[in-house]
Amino acid sequence: MALYETVFIARQDLTAEDVDALANKLAKIVTDGNGKIVSREYWGLRNLAYKVKKNARGHYVLFNIDSEYSAVAELNRVIGFNEDIIRSLTFAVESHSEESELFVSANAKEFKAGKVTVKKEPSKIDLVLDQVQFES
Amino acid sequence: MVAKVTKKNNKTSYTNENEGEEGYVKVSLVNQSVFIRKKKSCPLRDISIAEINYKNLRLLNKFLSERGKIIPSRITNVAVKKQKALANAIKRARHLALISPINKEVISN
Repeated sequence: MALYETVFIARQDLTAEDVDALANKLAKIVTDGNGKIVSREYWGLRNLAYKVKKNARGHYVLFNIDSEYSAVAELNRVIGFNEDIIRSLTFAVESHSEESELFVSANAKEFKAGKVTVKKEPSKIDLVLDQVQFES
Repeated sequence: MVAKVTKKNNKTSYTNENEGEEGYVKVSLVNQSVFIRKKKSCPLRDISIAEINYKNLRLLNKFLSERGKIIPSRITNVAVKKQKALANAIKRARHLALISPINKEVISN
Protein backbone atom coordinates (compact mmCIF):
# COMPACT_ATOMS: atom_id res chain seq x y z
CA MET A 1 0.00 0.00 0.00
CA ALA A 2 1.20 3.47 -0.80
CA LEU A 3 0.10 6.92 0.25
CA TYR A 4 -1.41 9.34 -2.24
CA GLU A 5 -2.94 12.77 -2.16
CA THR A 6 -5.65 13.81 -4.61
CA VAL A 7 -7.09 17.30 -5.00
CA PHE A 8 -9.82 18.16 -7.42
CA ILE A 9 -11.72 21.33 -8.23
CA ALA A 10 -15.44 21.01 -8.94
CA ARG A 11 -17.45 23.43 -11.06
CA GLN A 12 -18.68 26.62 -9.41
CA ASP A 13 -22.43 26.08 -10.04
CA LEU A 14 -22.59 22.81 -8.12
CA THR A 15 -24.40 22.96 -4.78
CA ALA A 16 -22.90 21.65 -1.58
CA GLU A 17 -25.03 18.48 -1.88
CA ASP A 18 -23.75 17.89 -5.41
CA VAL A 19 -20.15 18.26 -4.28
CA ASP A 20 -20.68 15.81 -1.43
CA ALA A 21 -22.37 13.33 -3.74
CA LEU A 22 -19.53 13.65 -6.24
CA ALA A 23 -16.90 13.22 -3.53
CA ASN A 24 -18.71 10.17 -2.13
CA LYS A 25 -18.90 8.65 -5.60
CA LEU A 26 -15.16 9.11 -6.11
CA ALA A 27 -14.34 7.87 -2.62
CA LYS A 28 -16.31 4.70 -3.36
CA ILE A 29 -14.03 3.96 -6.33
CA VAL A 30 -11.04 3.88 -4.00
CA THR A 31 -12.75 1.78 -1.32
CA ASP A 32 -14.00 -0.67 -3.98
CA GLY A 33 -10.39 -1.13 -5.07
CA ASN A 34 -9.44 -2.22 -1.52
CA GLY A 35 -8.06 1.22 -0.76
CA LYS A 36 -8.74 3.47 2.18
CA ILE A 37 -9.62 7.16 2.37
CA VAL A 38 -7.59 8.28 5.35
CA SER A 39 -9.14 11.72 5.53
CA ARG A 40 -11.14 14.19 3.49
CA GLU A 41 -10.87 17.94 3.37
CA TYR A 42 -13.14 20.54 1.85
CA TRP A 43 -11.55 23.91 1.21
CA GLY A 44 -14.73 25.80 0.36
CA LEU A 45 -15.78 27.67 -2.74
CA ARG A 46 -12.55 29.51 -3.42
CA ASN A 47 -11.69 32.15 -5.96
CA LEU A 48 -9.39 30.71 -8.61
CA ALA A 49 -6.20 32.58 -9.40
CA TYR A 50 -7.15 32.40 -13.09
CA LYS A 51 -10.16 31.19 -15.02
CA VAL A 52 -10.28 27.44 -15.57
CA LYS A 53 -12.80 26.24 -18.19
CA LYS A 54 -14.72 29.53 -17.80
CA ASN A 55 -15.00 29.12 -14.03
CA ALA A 56 -13.87 31.94 -11.76
CA ARG A 57 -14.48 29.99 -8.56
CA GLY A 58 -14.37 26.34 -7.63
CA HIS A 59 -15.06 23.82 -4.87
CA TYR A 60 -11.79 22.31 -3.67
CA VAL A 61 -11.83 18.77 -2.28
CA LEU A 62 -8.80 16.86 -1.04
CA PHE A 63 -8.49 13.11 -0.39
CA ASN A 64 -5.70 11.53 1.62
CA ILE A 65 -5.55 8.01 0.21
CA ASP A 66 -3.85 4.82 1.39
CA SER A 67 -4.19 2.36 -1.46
CA GLU A 68 -2.61 0.35 -4.23
CA TYR A 69 -1.84 2.22 -7.40
CA SER A 70 -4.56 0.43 -9.40
CA ALA A 71 -7.37 2.06 -7.41
CA VAL A 72 -5.77 5.49 -7.76
CA ALA A 73 -5.33 5.00 -11.50
CA GLU A 74 -9.02 4.11 -11.79
CA LEU A 75 -9.91 7.22 -9.75
CA ASN A 76 -7.84 9.38 -12.08
CA ARG A 77 -9.45 7.83 -15.14
CA VAL A 78 -12.96 8.60 -13.84
CA ILE A 79 -11.96 12.13 -12.85
CA GLY A 80 -10.78 12.68 -16.42
CA PHE A 81 -14.22 11.79 -17.79
CA ASN A 82 -16.23 13.80 -15.30
CA GLU A 83 -17.31 17.16 -16.67
CA ASP A 84 -18.08 18.58 -13.23
CA ILE A 85 -14.39 18.44 -12.37
CA ILE A 86 -12.37 21.23 -13.93
CA ARG A 87 -8.92 20.45 -12.55
CA SER A 88 -7.27 17.71 -10.54
CA LEU A 89 -3.90 16.72 -9.16
CA THR A 90 -2.74 13.37 -7.79
CA PHE A 91 0.65 12.49 -6.45
CA ALA A 92 2.39 10.09 -4.07
CA VAL A 93 3.49 11.34 -0.67
CA GLU A 94 5.74 9.92 1.99
CA SER A 95 3.37 10.87 4.78
CA HIS A 96 0.01 12.58 4.93
CA SER A 97 0.17 16.15 6.12
CA GLU A 98 -2.06 17.45 8.87
CA GLU A 99 -4.93 19.82 8.30
CA SER A 100 -3.63 22.70 6.29
CA GLU A 101 -4.57 26.34 6.73
CA LEU A 102 -6.83 25.99 3.68
CA PHE A 103 -8.99 23.44 5.51
CA VAL A 104 -12.55 24.57 6.13
CA SER A 105 -14.64 21.47 6.87
CA ALA A 106 -14.74 17.74 6.24
CA ASN A 107 -17.80 17.89 3.99
CA ALA A 108 -19.22 20.58 1.74
CA LYS A 109 -22.53 20.38 3.63
CA GLU A 110 -20.96 21.60 6.85
CA PHE A 111 -19.43 24.55 5.09
CA LYS A 112 -21.14 27.89 5.67
CA ALA A 113 -20.27 30.78 3.42
CA GLY A 114 -18.90 33.78 5.23
CA LYS A 115 -17.93 31.69 8.23
CA VAL A 116 -14.94 33.38 9.75
CA THR A 117 -12.19 30.89 10.40
CA VAL A 118 -10.71 31.25 13.84
CA LYS A 119 -7.30 32.82 13.60
CA LYS A 120 -4.82 30.64 15.37
CA GLU A 121 -1.68 31.76 17.08
CA PRO A 122 1.03 32.62 14.55
CA SER A 123 2.66 29.33 13.65
CA LYS A 124 6.36 28.56 13.69
CA ILE A 125 6.49 29.11 9.95
CA ASP A 126 5.01 32.59 10.25
CA LEU A 127 7.57 33.58 12.84
CA VAL A 128 10.38 32.41 10.56
CA LEU A 129 8.86 34.15 7.56
CA ASP A 130 8.70 37.47 9.36
CA GLN A 131 12.46 37.44 9.57
CA VAL A 132 13.09 36.43 5.96
CA GLN A 133 14.38 39.36 3.99
CA PHE A 134 16.50 39.59 0.90
CA GLU A 135 17.28 42.19 -1.71
CA SER A 136 15.41 41.42 -4.90
CA MET B 1 34.60 35.22 -0.61
CA VAL B 2 36.01 38.66 0.03
CA ALA B 3 33.18 40.87 -1.06
CA LYS B 4 34.06 44.10 0.58
CA VAL B 5 37.54 45.03 1.65
CA THR B 6 38.08 48.21 3.52
CA LYS B 7 41.60 49.28 4.17
CA LYS B 8 42.04 51.26 7.28
CA ASN B 9 44.94 53.11 8.70
CA ASN B 10 45.67 52.53 12.32
CA LYS B 11 44.82 56.12 13.07
CA THR B 12 41.36 56.14 11.57
CA SER B 13 40.36 52.75 12.92
CA TYR B 14 40.37 54.11 16.43
CA THR B 15 37.92 56.85 15.67
CA ASN B 16 35.80 55.00 13.14
CA GLU B 17 34.89 51.60 14.54
CA ASN B 18 32.37 49.65 12.46
CA GLU B 19 32.61 46.34 14.25
CA GLY B 20 28.87 46.12 14.79
CA GLU B 21 28.12 46.37 11.07
CA GLU B 22 25.76 43.56 10.12
CA GLY B 23 26.94 40.71 7.92
CA TYR B 24 30.61 41.60 8.16
CA VAL B 25 33.44 40.22 10.25
CA LYS B 26 36.40 42.34 11.13
CA VAL B 27 39.71 40.65 10.54
CA SER B 28 42.79 42.35 11.89
CA LEU B 29 45.98 42.04 9.89
CA VAL B 30 49.37 43.44 10.68
CA ASN B 31 48.88 46.98 9.51
CA GLN B 32 45.26 47.11 8.45
CA SER B 33 41.88 45.74 9.30
CA VAL B 34 39.76 44.05 6.67
CA PHE B 35 36.00 43.45 6.58
CA ILE B 36 34.95 40.12 5.13
CA ARG B 37 31.32 39.36 4.29
CA LYS B 38 29.90 36.44 6.26
CA LYS B 39 28.33 33.61 4.32
CA LYS B 40 24.55 34.00 4.59
CA SER B 41 22.71 30.92 5.84
CA CYS B 42 19.48 29.43 4.50
CA PRO B 43 16.39 31.42 5.59
CA LEU B 44 14.41 28.16 5.80
CA ARG B 45 16.84 26.37 8.12
CA ASP B 46 14.15 26.03 10.83
CA ILE B 47 11.51 24.72 8.45
CA SER B 48 11.49 21.05 7.47
CA ILE B 49 11.11 19.94 3.86
CA ALA B 50 7.75 18.32 4.71
CA GLU B 51 6.43 21.74 5.71
CA ILE B 52 7.28 23.22 2.32
CA ASN B 53 4.13 22.09 0.51
CA TYR B 54 1.72 23.60 -1.98
CA LYS B 55 -0.87 24.37 0.70
CA ASN B 56 1.32 26.80 2.56
CA LEU B 57 0.58 29.81 0.40
CA ARG B 58 2.11 32.43 2.66
CA LEU B 59 5.44 30.57 2.55
CA LEU B 60 5.37 30.25 -1.24
CA ASN B 61 4.39 33.89 -1.68
CA LYS B 62 7.54 34.96 0.10
CA PHE B 63 9.67 33.41 -2.65
CA LEU B 64 7.87 34.88 -5.65
CA SER B 65 8.85 38.00 -7.51
CA GLU B 66 6.34 40.77 -8.27
CA ARG B 67 5.61 39.03 -11.56
CA GLY B 68 5.02 35.64 -9.94
CA LYS B 69 8.37 34.16 -10.90
CA ILE B 70 10.33 31.95 -8.52
CA ILE B 71 13.21 33.92 -7.03
CA PRO B 72 16.52 32.09 -7.63
CA SER B 73 18.34 30.68 -4.62
CA ARG B 74 21.35 32.74 -5.74
CA ILE B 75 19.45 35.69 -4.27
CA THR B 76 17.51 34.07 -1.43
CA ASN B 77 20.25 31.66 -0.25
CA VAL B 78 17.78 28.81 0.20
CA ALA B 79 19.50 25.41 0.47
CA VAL B 80 19.47 23.31 -2.69
CA LYS B 81 17.06 20.60 -1.47
CA LYS B 82 14.66 23.14 -0.05
CA GLN B 83 14.76 25.27 -3.19
CA LYS B 84 13.81 22.17 -5.19
CA ALA B 85 10.93 21.42 -2.81
CA LEU B 86 9.87 25.07 -2.98
CA ALA B 87 9.89 25.09 -6.79
CA ASN B 88 7.82 21.89 -6.93
CA ALA B 89 5.34 23.26 -4.40
CA ILE B 90 4.94 26.51 -6.35
CA LYS B 91 4.31 24.60 -9.58
CA ARG B 92 1.66 22.44 -7.90
CA ALA B 93 -0.05 25.49 -6.44
CA ARG B 94 -0.07 27.16 -9.87
CA HIS B 95 -1.63 24.09 -11.47
CA LEU B 96 -4.43 24.12 -8.87
CA ALA B 97 -5.04 27.86 -9.43
CA LEU B 98 -4.05 28.62 -5.85
CA ILE B 99 -1.43 31.14 -6.95
CA SER B 100 -1.36 33.14 -10.13
CA PRO B 101 1.43 32.43 -12.64
CA ILE B 102 1.70 36.10 -13.60
CA ASN B 103 1.58 38.12 -10.41
CA LYS B 104 2.28 37.82 -6.75
CA GLU B 105 -1.08 38.37 -5.12
CA VAL B 106 -2.32 35.42 -3.08
CA ILE B 107 -6.01 34.72 -3.33
CA SER B 108 -7.72 34.10 -0.04
CA ASN B 109 -11.40 33.84 0.70
